[in-house]
Amino acid sequence: MPKVISIHSYRGGTGKSNFTANIAATIALQGKRVGVVDTDVPSPGIHNLFCLEPEQTTHTLNSYLWGEISIEEAAYDVSRNIGLSDDAGGRLYLVPSSVKADSIARILRDGYDVRLMNDGFRKLVKSLQLDYLFIDTHPGLSKETFLSIAISHVLILILRPDKQDYQGTAVTMDVAKQLKVRKLLLAINKVYGQLNPDALKQKVEETYGEKVAGVFPLSEEVVQLASEGVFCVRYPEHPISQTFRQVAAQIDQG
Amino acid sequence: MSEAGADREKLDQTPNQAADQAADQSSGGDLQSLASSITAMASPFRNYLNDLHEKYRSVDEGTVADYIPELAEANPGWFGICVVTTDGQLFDVGDCDQLFTIQSMSKALTYGMALEDHGREYVNSKVSNEPTGEAFNSIVLDEETNRPYNPMVNAGAIATTDLIKGKDGTARLKRMLSMFERYTGRSHDICMPVFLSEKSSGFRNRAIAYLMLNFGMVSDRIDETLDLYFQQCSILVNAKDIAMISATLANGGVNPATQVRALDEHYVQDVISVMLSCGMYDASGDWAYRVGIPAKSGVGGGILATVPGKLGIGTFSPPLDVKGNSVRGIKVCEDLSKDFGLHLFNVASPEHNLQDWLSGNTDIDHW
Repeated sequence: MPKVISIHSYRGGTGKSNFTANIAATIALQGKRVGVVDTDVPSPGIHNLFCLEPEQTTHTLNSYLWGEISIEEAAYDVSRNIGLSDDAGGRLYLVPSSVKADSIARILRDGYDVRLMNDGFRKLVKSLQLDYLFIDTHPGLSKETFLSIAISHVLILILRPDKQDYQGTAVTMDVAKQLKVRKLLLAINKVYGQLNPDALKQKVEETYGEKVAGVFPLSEEVVQLASEGVFCVRYPEHPISQTFRQVAAQIDQG
Repeated sequence: MSEAGADREKLDQTPNQAADQAADQSSGGDLQSLASSITAMASPFRNYLNDLHEKYRSVDEGTVADYIPELAEANPGWFGICVVTTDGQLFDVGDCDQLFTIQSMSKALTYGMALEDHGREYVNSKVSNEPTGEAFNSIVLDEETNRPYNPMVNAGAIATTDLIKGKDGTARLKRMLSMFERYTGRSHDICMPVFLSEKSSGFRNRAIAYLMLNFGMVSDRIDETLDLYFQQCSILVNAKDIAMISATLANGGVNPATQVRALDEHYVQDVISVMLSCGMYDASGDWAYRVGIPAKSGVGGGILATVPGKLGIGTFSPPLDVKGNSVRGIKVCEDLSKDFGLHLFNVASPEHNLQDWLSGNTDIDHW
């Protein structure tokens, strides 16, 4: 049965897109068929990580939401960009959002029928025969985030160790409970050197009563790679890449 | 001390306190209502309806009604499915905002109002409850009693419309419109071109009315009553309205969204049982046997189907079969009845459990 996973954070800058790209690539490299949808319509960005240039993407999530194309037409096979050969079992598809100012303005001005997101996700899973669909979201709460939380089998909330994120995560978890989310995982990102990751993990788990799937350091190496390329494809043996594999395993549990 | 260090100092209390503060501020109502509308958008049941829509969208059987030009203008591709549950959850897919004329579906509601106005005994004396097996516009009355056969064929509907109280045509129309508003929760307009067309070309209905006048089954305000009849048929609705009307009947006469009573609880059974025996024109017997959901269709392309205690279905698709029922609408009702065991007399376990699919609580593989 296909799994839908939403990656969300209450505030921006938590590293959602990076996290999504890495976890999606990790699973695709394990031989699975994986889709990623960039629903961060106001500020898209994940296409950079998969080295998909805006000039190549004539079809986007925006065009689907406007009824111009079917969603499959906006799905780009980026498997090669993460080093997957054509005969490998795994595949990685990305549905990007448009980075054209005009397109963003149009969607902000006119809005769209949120239900189309739901219908599109299902269509995508079916027609590309996906094992996993990752939804990269816009930070904060909106109709789109509510919807992506409601339809997900797993919701991954990313937070940094600071007060604003702690508070926002609690709010998001209230919403998630109201939406009867089936499985929730927390991931702590940008944990600076002085903090003890194990103690932090324990503390957060106690506070929220939910599992922390991974603790990621504030990493210069990740920053260096910036928004070009997927870290765990470049450095598969790095501890960070191993943590991503642990998170991937937890998505499948239970 | 570095900023990071300062944060670390705070960490002992921060996650707890911050989380508690946020929890204190979470209230019930608004979040719950938004969450429930989002859950409905993403529920397995809506996805099921979506698949039905996809499945039958390409069906190109049937023809759009063309006895007046205004109806012939309908786009045969229009197709909407809406379901409203008795607890007010609404699921819609396709063209559910497209307006069309209610046509014969209005007959069920007018019948209910006539019952409220005069009581069962009197109404029964004017209109019988027998299926005709004849076409909807046939000119036949019961030979012994001179009553029209049932309130769902034109003759019977004109007789029930005649029973609607009010000092003049305007007062009667206003009463009728406010009744529709109680059923749907919003006010309705009348499509003037359709009304005028029906009025100017409705010779057959006029003939039926005069025949009934001849037998003393209707009062002599024939023109006023026929105007009202043509007006009620020309009320503009969409598939959501139809589903809401159905759900109101399913909910014992109370609109499940507004909680306004639209029909006296004593007469809910009258309306629904006549829909079951006579609602689908002369296909009603077979419909009751196969689908088993009380329903009323209209030549505008709508079908109103009521599953008592559970839900109301409203479908809209203009192409009609030879008996005057919407082709795609029939297929949708058939599938819903079969897959969720909605046939009134079904006792076997259906393929899908309705409650599970509505709530989405269980892990249904709708992906």
